[in-house]
Amino acid sequence: MSSRLRRALVDAGGALVFPLIAIVLSFVLGAFIVLATGNNPLTAYAALVRGAVGSPTAIGRTLLGATPLIFTGLAVAVAFRAGLFNIGGEGQLYIGAITAAWLGVTLGFLGALSIPIVLLACVVTGFLWGAIPGILKARFGAHEVITTIMLNYIGIYLTTYLALKPLRTEGLVPGTDAIDFAARIPFIGLGLGRANYGFLLALVAAVVAYLLLWRTGRGFQIRAVGLSPGAANYAGMGIGANTVLALAIGGAFAAIGGGVEVLGVYGKMTVPFVTGLGFNGIGVALLGRNHPAGVVLGALLFGGLASGAQEMQFSTDVPLQLTSVLLAVILLLVTATKLVELLFGKRARALAGARLEKGLG
Amino acid sequence: MDEIFGAPGQLLASTIRNATPLVFAALGGMFSERSGVVNIGLEGLMLISAFAGVVGAFLSGSAVVALAFALAAGLVFALIHALMCVTFEADQIISGTAINLLALGGTGFLMVSVFGAGGTSPRVEGFGEVPIPLLSSIPVVGPALFSQSVLVYLMYVMVPATFFVLFRTPFGLRLRATGESPEAVDTAGISVGRMRYYGVALSGLLASLGGIYLSMGILSAFTENMTNGRGFIALAALIFGRWNPIGAAGAALLFGFALAVTFSAPQEAIPNEFLQMIPYVLTIVALAAFGGRAIAPAAIGKPYRKE
Amino acid sequence: MTEERTRGGTAGVEAPVVLEMRGVTKAFGPVKANDGVSITLGRGEILGLLGENGAGKSTLMKILYGLYSPDEGEVFVDGERAEIRDPKDAVSRGIGMVHQHFTLIPALTVAENIVLGAEPRKGATLDLAKAIKDTEELSERYGLRVDPRTRVADLSVGAQQRVEILKALYRKARILVLDEPTAVLTPQETEDLFSVLKELVADGLSIILITHKLGELLGISNRITIIRDGKVVETVEASGTDEGALARLMVGREVLLRVEKTEAKVGGPRLSAEGLVVLSGAGAKAVDGIGLEVRGGEILGIAGVDGNGQTELAEALAGTRPAESGLVRLDGEDVTRVGANGRQGRGLAYVPEDRGAKGLVQDFSLSENNALKTYDEAPFSKWGWIFPKAMRRRAAEALRAYDVRPPDPDARAGSLSGGNQQKAVLARELSGDPGVIIAAQPTRGVDVGAIEFIHRQLLEQRARGKAILLISLELEEVRSLSDRVAVIYDGRIVGEVGPDATDEELGLLMAGRTGGEKDA
Repeated sequence: MSSRLRRALVDAGGALVFPLIAIVLSFVLGAFIVLATGNNPLTAYAALVRGAVGSPTAIGRTLLGATPLIFTGLAVAVAFRAGLFNIGGEGQLYIGAITAAWLGVTLGFLGALSIPIVLLACVVTGFLWGAIPGILKARFGAHEVITTIMLNYIGIYLTTYLALKPLRTEGLVPGTDAIDFAARIPFIGLGLGRANYGFLLALVAAVVAYLLLWRTGRGFQIRAVGLSPGAANYAGMGIGANTVLALAIGGAFAAIGGGVEVLGVYGKMTVPFVTGLGFNGIGVALLGRNHPAGVVLGALLFGGLASGAQEMQFSTDVPLQLTSVLLAVILLLVTATKLVELLFGKRARALAGARLEKGLG
Repeated sequence: MDEIFGAPGQLLASTIRNATPLVFAALGGMFSERSGVVNIGLEGLMLISAFAGVVGAFLSGSAVVALAFALAAGLVFALIHALMCVTFEADQIISGTAINLLALGGTGFLMVSVFGAGGTSPRVEGFGEVPIPLLSSIPVVGPALFSQSVLVYLMYVMVPATFFVLFRTPFGLRLRATGESPEAVDTAGISVGRMRYYGVALSGLLASLGGIYLSMGILSAFTENMTNGRGFIALAALIFGRWNPIGAAGAALLFGFALAVTFSAPQEAIPNEFLQMIPYVLTIVALAAFGGRAIAPAAIGKPYRKE
Repeated sequence: MTEERTRGGTAGVEAPVVLEMRGVTKAFGPVKANDGVSITLGRGEILGLLGENGAGKSTLMKILYGLYSPDEGEVFVDGERAEIRDPKDAVSRGIGMVHQHFTLIPALTVAENIVLGAEPRKGATLDLAKAIKDTEELSERYGLRVDPRTRVADLSVGAQQRVEILKALYRKARILVLDEPTAVLTPQETEDLFSVLKELVADGLSIILITHKLGELLGISNRITIIRDGKVVETVEASGTDEGALARLMVGREVLLRVEKTEAKVGGPRLSAEGLVVLSGAGAKAVDGIGLEVRGGEILGIAGVDGNGQTELAEALAGTRPAESGLVRLDGEDVTRVGANGRQGRGLAYVPEDRGAKGLVQDFSLSENNALKTYDEAPFSKWGWIFPKAMRRRAAEALRAYDVRPPDPDARAGSLSGGNQQKAVLARELSGDPGVIIAAQPTRGVDVGAIEFIHRQLLEQRARGKAILLISLELEEVRSLSDRVAVIYDGRIVGEVGPDATDEELGLLMAGRTGGEKDA
């Protein structure tokens, strides 16, 4: 048992090689940028950390920012385990958001009871929406990267239409009606500010994703198809069905994320709605090596940076967008296998077991 | 006359204006993808160039300097993409996504650093309309096609020019070959890496023309995230046009028309949002109908590694 | 040495040596793909390079073309020491190569493919007209018929090969290497190719022809160099040898083992095929009307040179590749339309030839791989959940029983040696107590110890009354294990012999010669 534990630790350590290198390099680069703005990088980073975890409110802000990213990160990770790139988290999240915005109002009379129903509806719409690129791939061979990108915008415009036309409310901010407070996800309290129980739901979702992938026959198939389509076919597993399912399940995760944002944070869907959660989910998933536990860690990092940025901007005059730059640089570097090899030798690369070399084929 | 032809003339002019950045970016994407490097970072390449152009104009007041700034920014970001994808063998999709986020975050950051606040930049002198004598006086089409900014005329030239480069020069042949079969190119003694750098660099330069046209041809200022998905529409045009300059330009015109209608049509008939979906829906339909990637460059998306 | 003269192709005239490779050694890890290989090629000569798959022929030629750098050894072209670092160097030395897997670009035209990298120019532009004209001239001169304007994707395989040859000629190749050129050709196309080659040597070119088909070399080459296990076995005059002798030189390897085989207790038929036709991935008839029957308690061996339909036969019998026509029966039941899953459930085990990409998920643990086919059955699964602990426990037993090292269910499959990977596959396939076993190349790329173990396992299954189909390129393996040996050639069974058949007999059958047409 202890040897298994040791192996698990070594594996986890190896998996963290790429993310850690990417994070460190990105912060080093960020330090130069801060210097260029005439500020002290140490002061700025200290403020960043303070703003992320320095107080209960800061922590609450971090958790709040991490919540949707866990969902969109899982959307990428589950599909990735089947060997698929889900770039469609953005659109999938919007589909969930509009579902929640509509049903949250319609079922608002049920109070807290409506929350599970609404989220379940998000699962359904997200699943169906996510299945579209899966079917397009399995049936027509249309590459999921392109179709999910296109579906992002289709999803965004579709929900925008719904929020502005059929579901529009008379108000100053264009968007849907506000959901009754009783039918929203409650705040955690404990001084954590606006952090709500959606974060716990996100943790549950991560556990569900883990169980699905590693404790069910379906997950076994998805992982086998992702790692070796040849062997999966040899063992009699259907490649097409697993492709559709993996993307659909991914869509469902992202959609709950959208639902949680509406039920827990905004109480309605405004136009424009929050952007970038889907795309940042890609970074979160890659940083977390497409493992649910890693996704949670990655989302906390992303959420923490976003939260700390406000404090940094406040106490130095470094614009808070610095963290967006840092996140982009992390994403840029996290798959640069050859860079790690050049910097740290082939062993680091082998240890990390990078498997991101499959290309579009 | 104007009462009869005014509306269609305006629609045509608006189509051209909306299509121009798409054409540039799609042609740029074509060079990158024909060399075998997926470029979903077109959006970011356009955005950073749109911003750099405005900064150049703000600092110098000169359109030429603005153009140089934009081209340089597009080139630098494209070279980052090439460095990641070609030299460091990073994933091309991820790198492209990161380029988009980097441009979005970077322009946001620089807006505050350079202009002191986010949102919209100060107004700068844009590219004015330069009517072409004679041609611009043709009824209806004249003003629409030939009373535009210099960048639009450059776009007219660029379509046949890219076609020529791609299909009538040794460089074009080698570029196409690299995207189809890097192994074959390698055995023919041509450097795959170098061809891919060229392809991605050209995509940066062309996309930057699209970017600066957005900020200084249509508007005269930069606003945050002003590309608003146009890079992805350009990508859609590239795919819908089957990786061919003429096809891509045609698709970009079609999508530009859809955008023009969005901005001018009365709201009631068809909701705007459905018009805006057109490029994306058509691309998906095309992908499904053409059997997926049978028409894409065969080696697209794969890092090339020698044995 | 370089002054040495060999018998050239032009009617016994002493021809100058145009190419010599001396003492070439190249190792990949612990495996020496080439071990002190020396060959010479005279002007106007066709030299046959004969050897089994993996003997080291292609490695040698890749070294010659600058795709690999040798660990030791030298290359002389026209008597001059040549440093060949990349294909460009090779081309500048007048060496051209037609690879087994063509390096053509399907989306481009013939002319574009031919001039790529050495384009004719008119100013800064590509002179396509000249490219087309040059191609036409070359193609006329050597009878390599092909339309320069056609896209390569629209050409037949034979025509694509002609384009490859034209590509080399366009770059002024004087030494032409063809790697398995006939593997993809029809007999008619092969004949056409050979007449072109004769014309090329008459024009002063020298040719190295790599193949594992021994029969066709006799008619066309002047001398034949046989390579086995990375070493040159012998170089013989084509006129002074025959197919049987070549076959012996090519496959003759030390008998690795003496297996103790008990008397066969043959039962009823368990696996059979009738008129089976299977298409290859490229759409050709890889299996062309095969009938066979394997009975309980016996091992039926399928011998043959690689690429004669073995892969497709195994996959069609196992159900992972559809049959175009014909019947597959398992214990009397027609299972032609039953998938791999169903056949497995009916007691069919299949050890695939490609354990790397099919037999195992390299990044799965051994316990997951052990449950690759049974993950959804008790005790591994209930109500859709899987139980890794049960998988691990069962795997640990199986790994120990089949001597997989390390016997660690959590080890990644890809981290094991080839032999242990194969034992892990065997552990999975045999521990379910199947009635019928298809073993395709079960010992390919496996160390001696594992070979012995695998052989013992197969014989044990035979003793327990299982029906075993053994498909192997290793003649000695087929002979020592099988009760009957069927020889496959060009998608057909061309003969069946006992395990005590002579090398000559088997060699001729493997070359596609059936008794009556020996001298045809």
